[in-house]
Amino acid sequence: MKRLILTLAFVVAAAGTPAFGQQSTGVRVEFQGPGGHSFGAYGRVSALHAAARTVILLQKALPAGSYQITNLTGGNSVNAIASDGIIELKLTARNAKAYDALVAAVTKAAEEGAAAENAFRGVKAGDLTAGAPATVRSIVTRF
Amino acid sequence: MTRHPYPRALVATATVLLATIVVGASQDGPPPGQAGTRATIPAPVVAAAEKIATDPQVMALVKDQSTDAAAKARWNQFLELVRIPSPPRQEHLKAAEIHRRLVNELGFTPDEVMTRADGVIPASDTNIVDGLPVYNACVVIKGSYAGRADAQHYKGQFPKVLVEGHIDVVNPEELPKSGDPSIRIKLQPYAQPVVATPEELAAIPDELSFDARGRVIENDKYATASKVFANAREAEAGGGVRIYVPGYGDMMPSSSNAFVLAAAMKKHKIKPVYDIWICGTAGEEGKGNLAGVKQLYGFDQKAGTGSNPLNIVANFGLEGGGIVNFVGSYRFEMKFKAPFARPNGPSAPAAMAAAIAKIAEVKTPTDLKPGAPKTTYTVGRASCEPPPRPGMGVPSCSLEVDMRSTRKETLEDIRNAIEPAFQAGASAENARHGRKDGSAEGITLELMWYGLRPAYVAESVDNVAVHAGLQSGIQLGAINAPFVSDGSGSLNDNVPAHTGVPTYQFTLASSAAGAGGHAFWEWGTRGAPAIEVARMHRVLTAALIVSGFHAADGTVVPPAVGPIGKRTRDTVR
Repeated sequence: MKRLILTLAFVVAAAGTPAFGQQSTGVRVEFQGPGGHSFGAYGRVSALHAAARTVILLQKALPAGSYQITNLTGGNSVNAIASDGIIELKLTARNAKAYDALVAAVTKAAEEGAAAENAFRGVKAGDLTAGAPATVRSIVTRF
Repeated sequence: MTRHPYPRALVATATVLLATIVVGASQDGPPPGQAGTRATIPAPVVAAAEKIATDPQVMALVKDQSTDAAAKARWNQFLELVRIPSPPRQEHLKAAEIHRRLVNELGFTPDEVMTRADGVIPASDTNIVDGLPVYNACVVIKGSYAGRADAQHYKGQFPKVLVEGHIDVVNPEELPKSGDPSIRIKLQPYAQPVVATPEELAAIPDELSFDARGRVIENDKYATASKVFANAREAEAGGGVRIYVPGYGDMMPSSSNAFVLAAAMKKHKIKPVYDIWICGTAGEEGKGNLAGVKQLYGFDQKAGTGSNPLNIVANFGLEGGGIVNFVGSYRFEMKFKAPFARPNGPSAPAAMAAAIAKIAEVKTPTDLKPGAPKTTYTVGRASCEPPPRPGMGVPSCSLEVDMRSTRKETLEDIRNAIEPAFQAGASAENARHGRKDGSAEGITLELMWYGLRPAYVAESVDNVAVHAGLQSGIQLGAINAPFVSDGSGSLNDNVPAHTGVPTYQFTLASSAAGAGGHAFWEWGTRGAPAIEVARMHRVLTAALIVSGFHAADGTVVPPAVGPIGKRTRDTVR
């Protein structure tokens, strides 16, 4: 039901601004965390885990057909906690307003994905690990 | 017993600092010096330690290394080597520079360099590991043993003692495709916060400079970076800087100093009985899969056996630890493949994300219970093939997962918890699109790579490497009593230990502080050069106890172990 309501909301947003043409561009969601040794620094947050959590949230937040994941990448070594995670998506909407709504939904999902990872590892904004920020943070950009 | 020449407080402080660096950044073993099981040191080893540690030739080497000029030479070599990128399985640039220095600057002949530019050690039966050449860098200090009429050998190989430290570093992940590959070494005052992003690191204005030959330029930045401190507090108060460079903590200072020690042994005509090989080893990190030591010990991953083709009788690792138990780890690379690259239908990145998201929810005994056997996992790396054309889907995605535990049982538990998540991710994505697993339109799973660090649990702490490692420390005041930690670790030492070759670990590094190991913000601050010298003295003493030693007074300290090394299969060559 939630998904249906979301879909309807996007449809309404799109219908409300018929003067604009279809929007279809890329969005990059970047996650940054502290990383570290997979064993020695175990317990730190993972930017890649946050990115994966976000993908699952996106499946619930975005209408089917409105997005396509074109990349999911991150980390630098099998024995290191990933300090970075990147999701690249192609968003498609009927008009600019609907497109902005999609980007807002992606941004919200990214924040929630990072928050879920931070909560799982019990860290909050301002916490430090060995002097570095302990949390995973997200940023969304269009490309 | 002769009193040790180093103030106990200095060495004890150094030990605490090492523990900080090692546990926080560079390896998995417990802090050295931690109480555990008492070893019984044989009287000949005690006598050998005293004889060797106080030998005039050895002491001349120590005195030579204690000068300001020697400290500067060590420091400069470290800075010049650590900036050469050396991802696991791509260590050829750093190995080549070590080879060049050994012959052109450190006094060795080409015949004494035992490794080739193409990665081949002619006497090994395992020159290709995981399908790739192995870029170790090894030099020999020739012993006298091969010249004896009664010398024994294994298939032509006379006994050797191996001293090794790895030269691969987690970052950068890959060598750059073009341009100058050198890593920029950034300097940041302690008053500023540790960088939070790679962009912040890149924006730090102060960095070390190098000339066209790769020599560090001794300007004001170099002077700042070269200041020596006892700890982070003193560094902060005294104008110290964080020196950001991958490999500072894990573990180029120690590996670089191994070659300084080799050159000093050559210069001071230190004469062992058995050969001593000093190696910078490849492939300790990441997907390196311990390739360097697998070549040296002829380790066949599928069979789980080592042929020890070089006839190594004892091993000394330079990554720190002082442990005898080596727990294995499991590492997987899994590929999620979409049946066709169309934008609709089951998605490879979504399937991989579903798997990662399931793994991310796993709690290990470490998460659940204080004091439980340390058990860890991480999805270390993920990547996807780009869509072949705009508008098409992603053909495949791969993830790499690492699992470790200090106990075999909990390691199996964590594997059993995580391994099903790979298929569960694929199944979830198939189900989301109404596809059945195994159908032509479903996501499929493929095992791309399986990494193994063979486990070893010591039945006894008493072996020649442990005895030499402990007694050299007791002789020189680094430790008080012959205790071996009951902890476990995962190091290069897994391979020799599993093959039956005794092994022990210490370090040749000296850092005042450091953090960020395996991360983009790995940094350190220079520690006291005297600590490096004390550690060189200890490692030299330990290696010579095992190899045997022609003392300055003309007597011979006999080898502490027989001439045929252990192995778990025969060499095939």
